[in-house]
Amino acid sequence: MKDNEKLIMQIKPASRPKFWYYPVSLFLFILYILPIYILLNMSFRNITDISSRLFLPKEWDFSNYIAVFLGSDLWLGFKNSAIVVVETVIIQIVLGALAAYGLARSSGRISETLRKVNMGIMMIPGLALLVGTYSLMVRMNLDNSLFGLSLLSAAGGLPGTIFLYTNFVVAIPDSLDEAAAIDGAGVIRTFFKIIMPQLKAITVTQIIFAATGSWNNYLMPMYLLQKKSKFTIIQIIKAAFNQSNGNANLPLACATCALGLLPIIVLYLLLQKYIIQGQLDSSSK
Amino acid sequence: MKKRKYTYLCLTIPAAILIIWFIFIPLLNAANLSFFRWNGYSQNKKWINIENFTKAFSDKMFWRCLVNTLIYGFGSCALQNLCGLFAALFLNKKFMGRNAVRVVLYMPIMISAFIMGQIMYYFFQFDGGVFNEVLNLFGVSDVYWMKNGWTAVILITFVNSWQYMGLCMIIYLAGLQNIPAMYREAARLDGANKFYEFIHITLPLLIPAITTAVVTNLIGGFKMFDVIVSMTGGGPSKQSMSLSYYISTLYFTDERAGYASAIGVILFALIIVITLPVNAWLRKKEVEY
Repeated sequence: MKDNEKLIMQIKPASRPKFWYYPVSLFLFILYILPIYILLNMSFRNITDISSRLFLPKEWDFSNYIAVFLGSDLWLGFKNSAIVVVETVIIQIVLGALAAYGLARSSGRISETLRKVNMGIMMIPGLALLVGTYSLMVRMNLDNSLFGLSLLSAAGGLPGTIFLYTNFVVAIPDSLDEAAAIDGAGVIRTFFKIIMPQLKAITVTQIIFAATGSWNNYLMPMYLLQKKSKFTIIQIIKAAFNQSNGNANLPLACATCALGLLPIIVLYLLLQKYIIQGQLDSSSK
Repeated sequence: MKKRKYTYLCLTIPAAILIIWFIFIPLLNAANLSFFRWNGYSQNKKWINIENFTKAFSDKMFWRCLVNTLIYGFGSCALQNLCGLFAALFLNKKFMGRNAVRVVLYMPIMISAFIMGQIMYYFFQFDGGVFNEVLNLFGVSDVYWMKNGWTAVILITFVNSWQYMGLCMIIYLAGLQNIPAMYREAARLDGANKFYEFIHITLPLLIPAITTAVVTNLIGGFKMFDVIVSMTGGGPSKQSMSLSYYISTLYFTDERAGYASAIGVILFALIIVITLPVNAWLRKKEVEY
């Protein structure tokens, strides 16, 4: 085998980058950065400036950003979203990993059935449950409650989390558990002290996915959180655009939107290496 | 260790409680409500047997939304897989700036579909929209992008595919990296050209990745909701609504909760009836190596 590879290496030298790679890269880059550019471009304007959205404004106007920054809406949205994200992530990751550990280590008909049921749940469209969920949440007084929303979105994300974790736990050898058991560790202790540290990489990925999923959630907050004091950041941005119907104050809405997107984009750019690697790892399982 | 089997199963209980509470009970609740006429809040519900389901078949709006949902599902699945595959093949090559392109292609996935639709709305606006402005630069006059339902549906499909293409790309990149280099080198030694190598070596070995990408995108497309709300609001004249969107307007605007749950049951059935066979068919095609 090794000789073969050596032979191939001799015959075929590593291919050099070709010229057309660069124009294609540039095209893709522009295609994907354009919406952000347009959004920023529209936000640095005065209300009366209805000139081209494609070219930079003649007069830069930063007052929208100052207004959004000094206003209370953006901060309210950040605060509520942050609460929901933290609660959702903790519930979803801890319960999901624990259940996945249980499923991966117990073989037999019950665990097989549970895994299949879990796969089936992943196919249920959220909207199909809308009537059932909403009337249930109202009856339990969980509407207009951030914790209620967190429970709901953690439940929605759990099947996917369990599915991914199960694939990763299976790859951890049983002998680790056995060694821990001989040393007298219980199941829960084994899970937190032995298994979880082995799952660091997938846990980071899962935290990021769960957090962005719940940060970006629009459907359930829109229906469940009717009071403005409970609005998430997505609802705040939506409200900003709605007030600007008929271009009343579009630049201000764009500034709200740009600032609202800022945390997630900064986090993405800082963590992109882990996010993309995590996505690569979880899709090859 | 056998004694621990049931202890292990007990670990699933907390997650199971949450899933039963927030998914199973609502599902049963919705399935039950689909047999009633109910406005969503009053005390009196009237049992009407399967009338909600039979009504759907003669409801023009339902058929329109069903066709739209199928276009959203299959259209964005096809577009994302094709573009994602080409993007992955392209980014699998080594060149400077490759990582930057990958980072930018994946970025829209981090942004809420609702917000993305809102931004894209300003691209397709008739008056001063970005795309019309680009056309004007080339001397072409303004195009009315949202002229009818079909153009709106196609544009929404494109925007959704553009936004989530990066996911397919990553799935295929992972698949490509799992293919041992020696297979392709062997084909090359045998004198295969690039096209032959791709069709007969790369593609068959990519089928596990294709299965994942196709199934997730089909389900995602059938569920589409957020981006439609912000891009077209279901318009023009409700012609770009998906079944999901129809359910929400039926429930919250028309106050027909029973009928809305019936459509929800139909949507769930649709997803299962389409994705399970597709999944099974693709799995059969997987080759061992």
